[in-house]
Amino acid sequence: MSNDRASTSPQQSGRLQVDAASKRFGHVAALSDVSLSVAAGEFVTILGPSGSGKTTLLKVIAGFEIADQGRVLIDQADITELDPAQRNIGMVFQNYALFPHMSVARNIAYPLAMRGTPKAEIATRVKQALDMVELGGMAERLPKQLSGGQQQRVALARATVFQPRLLLLDEPFGALDRKLREQMQIEVRRLQRRLGLTTLFITHDQEEALVMSDRIAVMDKGRVLQVGPPNEIYEAPANPFVADFIGESNIFAGVVEADGGNLLRVRLEQGPVIEVAGRADLAAHRGQRVRVMVRPERFVDLAADQNSVWANRIDGRVTDSAYIGVSDKYRVVTAEGIDVLMRLPSGPSSRRYSAGEAIAAGFHAADARLIAVQ
Amino acid sequence: MTLASTTAPVASRAWLRPGPFALTLPALLLLTLLFMLPLVRLFSLSFTGGFGWYEKALTGGLYTVILYRTFEIAGIVTFFSFVIGYPVAFLLATTTPKWRAIGFAFVMLPLWTSVLVRTYAWMVLLGRNGIINRMLIDSGLLDTPLSLLNSRLAVILGMVHVMLPFMILPIYSALTRIDPDLPTAARGLGASALRILTTIYLPLSLRGIVAGVTLVFVVSLGFYITPALLGGGKVMMYAMVIEQQVREFLAWNFAGALSVILLAVTLVMFWLLNQGVARHLRD
Amino acid sequence: MRTRREVLAATAAALAMPKVAFAEGEPPKPKQLIFNASGGSQIASLRENYLNDFEKETGIKIVDTSPVDFGKLRAMVESGNVSWNITEIGGQDGYRVTEMGLAEPIDAKIIDRSKFQPQAQMSHVFSPSCYSTVMCYRPDAFPKGGPKSWADFWDVKAFPGPRSMRNHPVDNLEAALIADGVTLEALYPLDVDRAFRKLDAIHKHVNVWWSTGQQPAQLLVDKEVVLATGWNGRFYDLIRKEAPLVMEWNGGILKQGSWVVPKGAKDQYWAMKTLAAMADPKRQAANAEILGYSGMHLDSNQYVAEKIRPLLPLYPDNLKKQVWLDQKWWTVNGAQIGERWNKWMLSKA
Repeated sequence: MSNDRASTSPQQSGRLQVDAASKRFGHVAALSDVSLSVAAGEFVTILGPSGSGKTTLLKVIAGFEIADQGRVLIDQADITELDPAQRNIGMVFQNYALFPHMSVARNIAYPLAMRGTPKAEIATRVKQALDMVELGGMAERLPKQLSGGQQQRVALARATVFQPRLLLLDEPFGALDRKLREQMQIEVRRLQRRLGLTTLFITHDQEEALVMSDRIAVMDKGRVLQVGPPNEIYEAPANPFVADFIGESNIFAGVVEADGGNLLRVRLEQGPVIEVAGRADLAAHRGQRVRVMVRPERFVDLAADQNSVWANRIDGRVTDSAYIGVSDKYRVVTAEGIDVLMRLPSGPSSRRYSAGEAIAAGFHAADARLIAVQ
Repeated sequence: MTLASTTAPVASRAWLRPGPFALTLPALLLLTLLFMLPLVRLFSLSFTGGFGWYEKALTGGLYTVILYRTFEIAGIVTFFSFVIGYPVAFLLATTTPKWRAIGFAFVMLPLWTSVLVRTYAWMVLLGRNGIINRMLIDSGLLDTPLSLLNSRLAVILGMVHVMLPFMILPIYSALTRIDPDLPTAARGLGASALRILTTIYLPLSLRGIVAGVTLVFVVSLGFYITPALLGGGKVMMYAMVIEQQVREFLAWNFAGALSVILLAVTLVMFWLLNQGVARHLRD
Repeated sequence: MRTRREVLAATAAALAMPKVAFAEGEPPKPKQLIFNASGGSQIASLRENYLNDFEKETGIKIVDTSPVDFGKLRAMVESGNVSWNITEIGGQDGYRVTEMGLAEPIDAKIIDRSKFQPQAQMSHVFSPSCYSTVMCYRPDAFPKGGPKSWADFWDVKAFPGPRSMRNHPVDNLEAALIADGVTLEALYPLDVDRAFRKLDAIHKHVNVWWSTGQQPAQLLVDKEVVLATGWNGRFYDLIRKEAPLVMEWNGGILKQGSWVVPKGAKDQYWAMKTLAAMADPKRQAANAEILGYSGMHLDSNQYVAEKIRPLLPLYPDNLKKQVWLDQKWWTVNGAQIGERWNKWMLSKA
């Protein structure tokens, strides 16, 4: 139904480029030299804790704030100081910002009416938009007569009905319960693909970011720390903040003892030596202090696997254990006093450990990610 | 809906909610006792001897013309109170807390001074030897002073001055209840500043506007002191005629009939206004 | 402000005053009497000259209230809930209050009016003083001399400048007719049509139609108008304070200061006694010196300081130029003319 609309759309989605944007509020640097490119039709998530500058970045792109330095471009055109009304950017607000005094249909028609679209065309396009978000029968309702999920869809329809060159979503699922949120995540992604809309999505929920995005940009303290596809962000965090912010992680500190080839030998602060895969983009030499990350699920219970060869081995005692469903989660402390978090597969074929039991676990050098060198 | 309502801005939803009736019940009873009973008495007084008093009030031109002029003045005062009051309320609702405090002091100040003092201040300003005339003459723009005081203009100025806070306060209160994301969203959706005003601010502050307009209009209809002092006796208001009938001619039945007519016309007007607003809100 | 000499004179007069005599076998004394009047400087003078001594001699407290309100008087009498023991009424209402039965008859056994002016002999109204509606002007506006008659008041060519008159037909119809050439003797019954025709000529020169008594004097002081009608006492007060104003008695319209005991009021004996205290000529003279309203006792004028006498309405030279308002005529015609007045004002707006 709306596939044809997207394909006949006169205005294609745009390529967004933010060039070295900076913005200060008094003494606080909300954005410091932020650069980001989003390809046409791409879905990019800006992920970061609150106060990391992600909302400011969104406002600078939408035009509600003007950057102190740097530029914003859509399809090479500089829009840095263009009025928001002229930017043709759709935005869904955290609380939807639906106009309470207008029916669903009039809310969706609003951006079209502001552009002087003929009435007949408005009617058809509003109907298409309503069908697209499956709210065909709700046209005459007021926003307050809708559920949270329905309001969300109206906001989405309103932000896309005028074929914007860019769609901005500011934590739009914060108000929904978990199940509805997951459903909306899928729906938004499906809609975005169907319309081919370049989309910038803001969230502080790393799981949501991993599920939805083509690429993720991780922000902290006004800076973009890493941009990449979800698996890269998760598997190969560029620095300790990203490693820590996304997923669970063990971060060990130590000193490089040997740096031959692609492999490093690192003596941990507590004594033991582990093997770590080297990084082409991050050279580490003998004697340098480094930090290494191991994801909890990369550990293998050696009692269940005696055949494989493991580069690294942890011997310790379980101090806490929790059953999560998909896995068992353990806190293990080694004789040297190293604190390790592990997730081992659960199920009838796996052994369960209780607090106080001895445990031996192995992990590959490739699963030990070098994240910082001093 | 339950989930959404806990997080969505309360303000944007509360604008149509009916007030808690039960809580206002004691006040309603008191009002009934204080206002309804005398009203019933007035009503019965006005009908002694049939409709004769009403006939007198509605024929012969004099009282209907005064009624018409009273509504005209109340209408003009309401119009200017709105035209001046809305921007002031808007500035108060959108400015920084410091300027809001200063602005409010200026808005509330007239409420804390007596009507007589305020009226006298206008005499000092507008008089033949007043500040305005003296400035015009000293600057050589005029030879002889203008008759600003003791005119319909002076009455309207004085009344607008007295009534402004009653227009500003309800509109301000309605404006502050508007979720600030709404105008931002409208702007992002392509609305110009003027369209944001007409499609977002005005309709969402409509309740405040109706409250302000009603208050100013009704109170203006009953104005007595300001027109008498600033109008030089040339501006006649219905309330002045009623008072004259009661105090001077002791024609209470007739005063009753005049009062009932004023009340009835006022009620009908506001019923129509509310109908219009209700229809607008439904659309 | 009164000068020290005047205060001394007033005090001396008060000391010389005879004590109010009380008869044997009188009814029990109430704790207090409610005395309703115009308030302001008037009640201050009444207290100083009459009421304080009455309180001291009888032990009855006089509680004063205001304002004067004929409608309220009627409401009290008709509802039988009369809270005033004594009330002032407007000078034009003496006949009406009697006709409507709203006042008790004045008890000649308590109040001796044998030596009062003939205009102060009404059966139900006690008039210890009188006042006059006169014209007053700023002499600086008329360097060649001010207006001397109502005809001059109407002559806007010889006496140019904005004027002020009362927003009420009483006094204005009289003034208009006198300006039009009607003699004082032939004034009543008023030729209403002729009066309104004459008023047509002055209307647009009247800048302010005043509604409260202090307005005309204030308008003159503020230079808002140069010529105004008003009650002589209000001008008197400002002239004594050396305001640059001049009063013209010619064509002044006299009215009685009027007091009644409302019909059905409580403690009527003591109310009459209070009024009796106001019948003394010396006390009336002291009151006149403060307020500018002549005492109605025929002997009163001789107790007034000589230089003040020409400033009072009943001073013989002033009295002969003035006319007493016909209360009876106004009681009969007042409402109808009031309506006509409104209509006339409306037609000019």
